[in-house]
Amino acid sequence: MRETTPVKSPRLNEQDQVMTTKYPYYVEPYNETERPRRFLEAFSAILQHSNYGFVLDTYSKITTKCARCACNCQVFMESGELRDVPCHRTELLLRVYRRYFTLGGMVSSRLFNGFTLTDRYIDEMAENFYRCTACRRCKFGCPMGVDHGLMTHLARWILAEIGIVPKALVVAVREQLQGKTGNTSAIPVVALKDTCEFLEEELLENYNIPAKFPMDVEGAEMVFFPAVSDYLLEPDTLMGNAAVMHLTNGSWTIGTGYYDGINYGLFYSDTHLCNIVRKEAAEVKRLKAKKVLIGECGHASRSAKAFIPTFCGGKKAPPVINIMEYSHKALLDGRLKVKSGAILDRVTYHDPCNIARSKWIINQPRELLEAICKDYVDMVPGGQMNICCGGGGGTVSIDEIRKFRTGTGGHVKAEQIKATGAKYVVAPCANCKKQLREVCEDNGLHDVEIVGLHDLLLKALDLEYYGITAPEKKEEEE
Amino acid sequence: MEQWLEWARGPLFKFAFAVMVLGLFRHLLLAVAGTVQALLRAGDTKIPYKVVFRTTLDWLFPVKKMNVNRPVYSVISVIFHVGLILTPIFLLPHIQLWERGLSIRWPAIPHVLADMLTLITIAATVALLIGRLGHIYARGISRIQDILLPPLLMVPFITGFLAMHPAWNPVDYNAVMLIHVLSANLIFILIPFTKLGHIILLPATQLVSEVGWHFPAESGDDVAVALKKENMPI
Ligand code: SF4
Ligand code: SF4
Repeated sequence: MRETTPVKSPRLNEQDQVMTTKYPYYVEPYNETERPRRFLEAFSAILQHSNYGFVLDTYSKITTKCARCACNCQVFMESGELRDVPCHRTELLLRVYRRYFTLGGMVSSRLFNGFTLTDRYIDEMAENFYRCTACRRCKFGCPMGVDHGLMTHLARWILAEIGIVPKALVVAVREQLQGKTGNTSAIPVVALKDTCEFLEEELLENYNIPAKFPMDVEGAEMVFFPAVSDYLLEPDTLMGNAAVMHLTNGSWTIGTGYYDGINYGLFYSDTHLCNIVRKEAAEVKRLKAKKVLIGECGHASRSAKAFIPTFCGGKKAPPVINIMEYSHKALLDGRLKVKSGAILDRVTYHDPCNIARSKWIINQPRELLEAICKDYVDMVPGGQMNICCGGGGGTVSIDEIRKFRTGTGGHVKAEQIKATGAKYVVAPCANCKKQLREVCEDNGLHDVEIVGLHDLLLKALDLEYYGITAPEKKEEEE
Repeated sequence: MEQWLEWARGPLFKFAFAVMVLGLFRHLLLAVAGTVQALLRAGDTKIPYKVVFRTTLDWLFPVKKMNVNRPVYSVISVIFHVGLILTPIFLLPHIQLWERGLSIRWPAIPHVLADMLTLITIAATVALLIGRLGHIYARGISRIQDILLPPLLMVPFITGFLAMHPAWNPVDYNAVMLIHVLSANLIFILIPFTKLGHIILLPATQLVSEVGWHFPAESGDDVAVALKKENMPI
């Protein structure tokens, strides 16, 4: 092999900061020389230090190319393109693995002058692995149990190591891990406090609920990490969270050292995934708290639940719960009192893939909704086999691919929503909310409103039970 | 011809069978060793074994799974597998061979049933091939082995049927038998080197997929160090 000078930095100088437009998404300028060699270097380092090898090995022996997985994929259902058949995409990676990392592949490529990794091939992977939302629905259709979500997860990591990663994702992670504010929306602590004070005032004014957003309370039971963007975009969800906590005497706190639940590392790099969950665990430790409480957000919940144990001490890691689990438990305990049938309009529920696919959170929100809604209908299919909103895997934050997201990726979801005839779609996830709003807008569903679960709970709290008289101004029911 | 047949049935068969057994054993060993190694390195070793086990059973006996995707294709595929597994194992002449060689025996199925199974399997194979080649996406992602393996699997079935029914057999009995044995041997040899390896790997794949998500606690740091990026700006 020819000796080459080692690559110093994946990025170029300031003056060369022109956007690469080769892919549907923007990529920051990066060192484009010798990509195949660097791809293989990254691949090999990852194989050596992580657990993907035996999975690739097994998958490359068994896939049978029957196209059954395709029927489960919302992207394929709409696009009908060969490149969107999950097994076809996964094969892109398996081929590289076989050729360069298995004896058989090396031998047969010598003998038959087989496949070589080229720049064009890397471009194909770069494009296709961002057409998959890593929602893992297809796994349930594969007789061989192939998990294409895992393959997309891995392929994106390798690509990211050579510099191919959507700008939208990398910018957020950079601010979160190395920026001044330490969160993806770049909200400074002062602004966080301002927002929370404002929300407290709103709660008092509109509902007479003297709820607080506790800050830095040492020894609280749970430290709260919502998707940080909720502080900018979802005041109702947060007010609902605080109101429930207040009325049920929940022991919680926001940590001003770290308050972001978002983890885009889950979408493109295990290194970042790891460093981000470590920040959550560290904040819990700093505040001498016991648990991690994640707000209404699918990927924030999954990355904490699945990967805090992985990266922060296994059994000794702090347990993770989602706020819907908390409220559900409070409802069952009788600590949370709601007015049944308070929500008159038809309501349906969208399962965020990241919490439903593993069967973790499926019934809890439904039971809460059934307790407060007069007209609740389920989406079909739902629960574990729900259809992805089309913006999973971080693609929702890539604004430049909106047409693909809402047209190709989200069209099936739009039809599904339409079929329910619901006015409110409850989507307890920051990513799903943004995506579904755009899906509805672009698919002509202008009367549908996308809300969080706690938005509705807030309207349905049985305040009299808690001795709170509703303020004069206006009743919430329309 | 006769000597050839003896050779194919004797030493060649032993060789082919050994290749298959060793190859499958290697598959199994690698999958188990990989899983164990992954679990030893994983930061979090909590695996929902019950769920994994149930899913594995669901796919080994895919009664519940047949109407999900490509239902017709799935049903045919199940029929195909049943015929493919049962017929050669429970055919009387095959059992007699095992008895002669290793003095082990097990009950056989009646000849009529064997005939029926054989014909059904052949029909199922044809249908499967049509299902693959006639389906634009399945055809699009098929490799050479996906298309050539089903016909190859049918050679022993067809020749076996002809050998059992001399009246239908256009050629010499020994010739048909030779093809029968040679093709079967070829299949045995190919099993570990093609997707037929799923014979042994299928029961492991659900676990592999689950364990695959359990990363080593230090993997992120280690990869960053290996790629000399630990102190680099993101
Ligand atoms: S993970 Fe989801 S988006 Fe990706 S291929 Fe599977 S079903 Fe399609
Ligand atoms: S269902 Fe499984 S084996 Fe069939 S094409 Fe899809 S991934 Fe490949």
